[in-house]
Amino acid sequence: MNEARLLSIPVILGTPRQGRLSEHVARVMLEQLGKRAAVQTALVDVRTLRLPSTDAGEAIKDPQFSEMVMHADGLIIVAPEYNHGYPGILKHALDTNLKEYIHKPVGLCGVSAGGFGGTRVVESLVPVMRELGLVTIFWDLNVSAAGKAFDASGQLLDMALPRRADKMIDELLWMARVLRYGRENIPAD
Amino acid sequence: MTTATRMRCPRCGAEMNHHANKVDYSAGAADPSAVDPDFHGVLQQVHQCPNCGNIEMRRAPESAG
Repeated sequence: MNEARLLSIPVILGTPRQGRLSEHVARVMLEQLGKRAAVQTALVDVRTLRLPSTDAGEAIKDPQFSEMVMHADGLIIVAPEYNHGYPGILKHALDTNLKEYIHKPVGLCGVSAGGFGGTRVVESLVPVMRELGLVTIFWDLNVSAAGKAFDASGQLLDMALPRRADKMIDELLWMARVLRYGRENIPAD
Repeated sequence: MTTATRMRCPRCGAEMNHHANKVDYSAGAADPSAVDPDFHGVLQQVHQCPNCGNIEMRRAPESAG
């Protein structure tokens, strides 16, 4: 296995809404990933993707987004929980790729204003990840009471969050290394 | 997977690794004749280039569509 190559782990911020607290969580993930010597990362903000709503799927690919996902070794998705589900625009964006995802690990971060840490958005994303060919890891990051985890300026108040993020990242990177080796070397049949 | 059926990367020319098979349900809309009746979608192979990271998907030759 070629360990010298950096692992590419983009972070997808799954909501375009104003005042989104998930943006702060995504920043924490980017900061923690940035501390890893073997990793390169970047933010994918669904707010900036040019995706028409008059069609769907691979017919409306955003070339930059698809190219980034193609070269990714794993993904982190930060998703707020809206009415017990995922943001529609996140699903709309994810559906624009297919081959780019297959046999790549994904870590899910659920963000909620309430006390359940976005567990329902994580659970509702799992079957979507599976059909897209992504491999969900068993570590999630759940952020409860997101309004209290950061101050009004977005400064982190919940100092346990980076440590919890690190544990998830450890698992994601292990899976990313293993699955990259598999994609490049182990035939399907 | 035999070497005879291995795909060459259209970007860099390296030999790609066929690492997965996937039923592609959306591809059938563009080409209904490609739909494999056993799977209700288009049976696709997924290939990754170990050199440049390119990924390609192509219809599986054994597909009955």
